[in-house]
Parts: sequence; C-alpha cells; structure tokens
Amino acid sequence: MSLGDELRYLRAFYGGIGPSAIEDKTGLPRGTLRYMEQRYRRVGEDDEVLAKLAAFYGTTLENLQFHRERYRKAFSAYLQQGLESGQPIRVRLRTGETLSGVVRWWDLGAFGLQEQDQLTVVQRHAVVDWEGADVR
Amino acid sequence: MPEDLQLIRKRKGMEAAQLAARAGIPLSLLKEYEAGSKPISPDHLRRLARALYVEPWDINPRSAPPRREEKPLPPRREEKPAAPPSPKKEKPRREPRPPAPIREGQIAHLLSAAARFGIDRAALEAQIGKPLEQMNEVEGRQWNRRFTERLKAEKPPKKPIDRRRAYLPEGVDRFESDYLEAVKASGDTIAFTLFNGEQHHGAVIGYCPYSITIRQADGSETTLNKLAIAYYRRAGGSA
Repeated sequence: MSLGDELRYLRAFYGGIGPSAIEDKTGLPRGTLRYMEQRYRRVGEDDEVLAKLAAFYGTTLENLQFHRERYRKAFSAYLQQGLESGQPIRVRLRTGETLSGVVRWWDLGAFGLQEQDQLTVVQRHAVVDWEGADVR
Repeated sequence: MPEDLQLIRKRKGMEAAQLAARAGIPLSLLKEYEAGSKPISPDHLRRLARALYVEPWDINPRSAPPRREEKPLPPRREEKPAAPPSPKKEKPRREPRPPAPIREGQIAHLLSAAARFGIDRAALEAQIGKPLEQMNEVEGRQWNRRFTERLKAEKPPKKPIDRRRAYLPEGVDRFESDYLEAVKASGDTIAFTLFNGEQHHGAVIGYCPYSITIRQADGSETTLNKLAIAYYRRAGGSA
C-alpha cells in the first residue's frame, strides 16, 4: 500500500473530512496532502510533514515511512514483471491474509490474480506489502 | 572700496574649494555668492574675510553678476564638393537555398490529419508519391495545409475519448470494469471481502467509479465502497 493509499485510508477512518481541512488542522501548506494522496510516484520525502500527519492520525512516523517505500509505480512494476514472466507473485493484504497467484491483468485500481481455477480481483489499495518490496 | 569676492580670492591665489573649507561654508553656497545670485550673510562675510585676511568691509556683500564673454565662433568648415556617386557594386547573385528536409512534427501532424480520413501511412505516401521522410519542409507545409482545409470543409467525426480511466486509484479502471461487466451479465454470485474481514455475497447489479452495488440472496441491495473492499471473486471458485 502506497503512502497515498494509506493516507486516504486513514482519512476515511478519521471521518472522511477533506484534505484541505486536515492541512489547516496540521498547519501544512495547502495542497500538500492532496498531492501526496494522489501521486503514483514516490512522495513524502519530508519526514517533518510525515511526522505531523502521523501525529494527527494517531499513527507512527515509521508506519508512514514504510508505505512511502511502497509507492504505486513500484507496485505496478512488480505486477508487470509478474504478468510478463508468468511466475506466481505473493502479496500481503490489509486483512492479514497473503495471496499468491499468477497475474492475469492489472490496471490502476485492481489486478486479477489467478490461483488454480479461481480468479481473484484484488484491490491495489488493499496490498500492504509484496515479495521483494524491500529489495529495491 | 569693497571688491567682489571672486576678485579678492583670485588675487590671493586661492581655490574656491580651499576658501570654502577655510571659511567653513559649503562650496555650492560660495559659488552662489561669487556669482552674485545671493547676498553674503553678515556671519559668512566675517568668516570669508578672516579666511582671506581682509576686513569684512573689503568684500562686496553682493557680487556683480559675471559678464558673459562672447565665445568666438568656430571657424566654418570649408564645404567640400560633393563626391560623385560611387558606382553601385552589383552583389553576386546567390543560388536559392534548397528547402530544409521535413520536420518530425510535420510528419506527425500529417499522419494524424490523414488518420482522421482513414488514410494510413502507406496510402498517404502513395498519394504524395514518395516516402514522407523524403519530403521537404515546404512540401510538408503544403500537404498539411491541404489536410487542414479538408478538415475544415468535411469535419470528419472525432474518435470518442476513452473515459473509463479511474481518477483515483481505488476507482474502477479498465480491466476491472470489463470483469464487472462480465459478472453483471452472468448474474453469478460474487464474494466480497472487506478490509475489516467482513464478507458480502451477491450478484453485481451495478457499479460506478468508487462503489459496487450487489443484490444479496435475501433480495436486499448493498452498495460497497471500493475503498473498503480488499478483494472479490466468484463464489464457488471459477474464473
């Protein structure tokens, strides 16, 4: 799960208030949070900003730093590699489950994971970690 | 008999700046006194007299304005007879430059314009009579103009824009949309697992960018927010 997905997930749990309201409450410049939530590239380089958001959402800086390393483009590359190689991939989900299978397709929102005769549509924002994410 | 300030200063061989410094008055004011444009104040008169080693009454409190000396006019230049016009040098005629080769942008424009009329590259090259890369800039411009005029006149229909791309990452994007269309058409029961571990079973009856609506076995309809869904699959285990 990318930092943007994690931040949107936390915001949804917080009650779904708008990014600008959170920016006002945390003293972040306007547009900072929206930018971080929507980018596909690696974002959130400033630990001070992350620390403010972590304090606001009641999570840890380390948690946000963990998600910063798992940005969406990196996950896309992992899925594409799996699609091209035909080798099974392994993903750990927010639910605590680990799914494995062969990638049949992927897009910006989800990917199709085939395990034996069953295709599972996995939401990209539900993937917390994947095999080899630390190795990059 | 009092004399003008400048006259006394010059007789004493003193520079204006030197006198101003000695008397403790600004140089600009001293010059005004010397030019007669201002009367010398009694205090300054005393100071100047002391600096010049004269008595105050030796200095005229208001100098006479200086006479303008007429400057002799510069001698007239003797008018030179106008030189005869030099014969025009004929510039050597340059050979016209060959037109530059066609630019990549022109080719791209030409191809996209031709595509609007269903003309592919091969057909376009056949129409032009040579490969696009062999054209020059002028020809490229002429052909592009021809297509622009044709576009204006005929207005061929534009390709519809594919608007199925998701705006936010949890939105329904292309392949997922195809999958949902298929399961909606089949009416199969889908098992949805949410982030909190909850499971919902039902047939997909509709979806929009950020939610999926299902009809459950008891007939009730539930709309699931995409952000809350972890994964889903056909119940019973088929692709």
